[in-house]
Amino acid sequence: MATEYYVALSALIFAIGAVGVLTRRSAIMIFLSVELMLNAANLALVAYARHWAAAGTLVGITGQTAVFIILAVAAAEVAVGLGILVTIFRRRISTNVDNLSEVRL
Amino acid sequence: MITFAVLAVVLVIGALGVVLLRQPVHAALSLVGTLLTLAVVFVTLEAHFLAAIQVIVYGGAIMVLFLFVIMLLNLQEEATKTRAAYRWIAYVVGVVAAAAIATGALLDPRQAPDALAVSDALRGGSPELIAQVLFGEFMLAFQLVGVLLLTAMVGAVALVQRQAETPGAR
Repeated sequence: MATEYYVALSALIFAIGAVGVLTRRSAIMIFLSVELMLNAANLALVAYARHWAAAGTLVGITGQTAVFIILAVAAAEVAVGLGILVTIFRRRISTNVDNLSEVRL
Repeated sequence: MITFAVLAVVLVIGALGVVLLRQPVHAALSLVGTLLTLAVVFVTLEAHFLAAIQVIVYGGAIMVLFLFVIMLLNLQEEATKTRAAYRWIAYVVGVVAAAAIATGALLDPRQAPDALAVSDALRGGSPELIAQVLFGEFMLAFQLVGVLLLTAMVGAVALVQRQAETPGAR
């Protein structure tokens, strides 16, 4: 399968995730959609890693290593994000982001 | 070709499930399915090690954390919906963005990389090769991720700690 099909699929999943971020109101659903977007980016990176593999082993594998870093960052993001979510929920009994409008600057 | 088509359809259905299902638990389980399918896609892209990591870290650790929080908070479906006008704007933005990137990619067709050369170069994305890049070119990023994880750990503990100190602070 040529690389562009994987990139198109990645774009589609990224857009679906973006729509989720824009339309859902519960903070946890927004988080799930963000995970979807991160994974779409990972798919594009892995597809390009295969695409450039012919240019040299290390050139190709760089894309896969970047996915590795993104995985670690996503894990950290989820840990802190869900911690914040639990704290907010305990204070307000709601994760609706509209009720948190005073958090903005 | 058929493999890719089947995987793509399953991926898109799973992604739509995450965005459209109203119960948070259903959406999270849909995301688990999407992530596991993505691991299969990684296998077809010669990234076997990443596929394993995807299943263990994403499908395992991260999604368990999500489901745990959803069940802990006993989240139900959202009471209010986003205003219809905003929702349609969001749908249009999503469709336009996806169509733009997809046509951009598809208008620039390339030969599928030679499977033999690829598997020869990537060797299934073996941990050995990834480690070579991770501890070479990506050394700074690797160390920064270490700092980030430490910060996240301290942050998560601090968030819970403050709750413990002020139990009646509702």
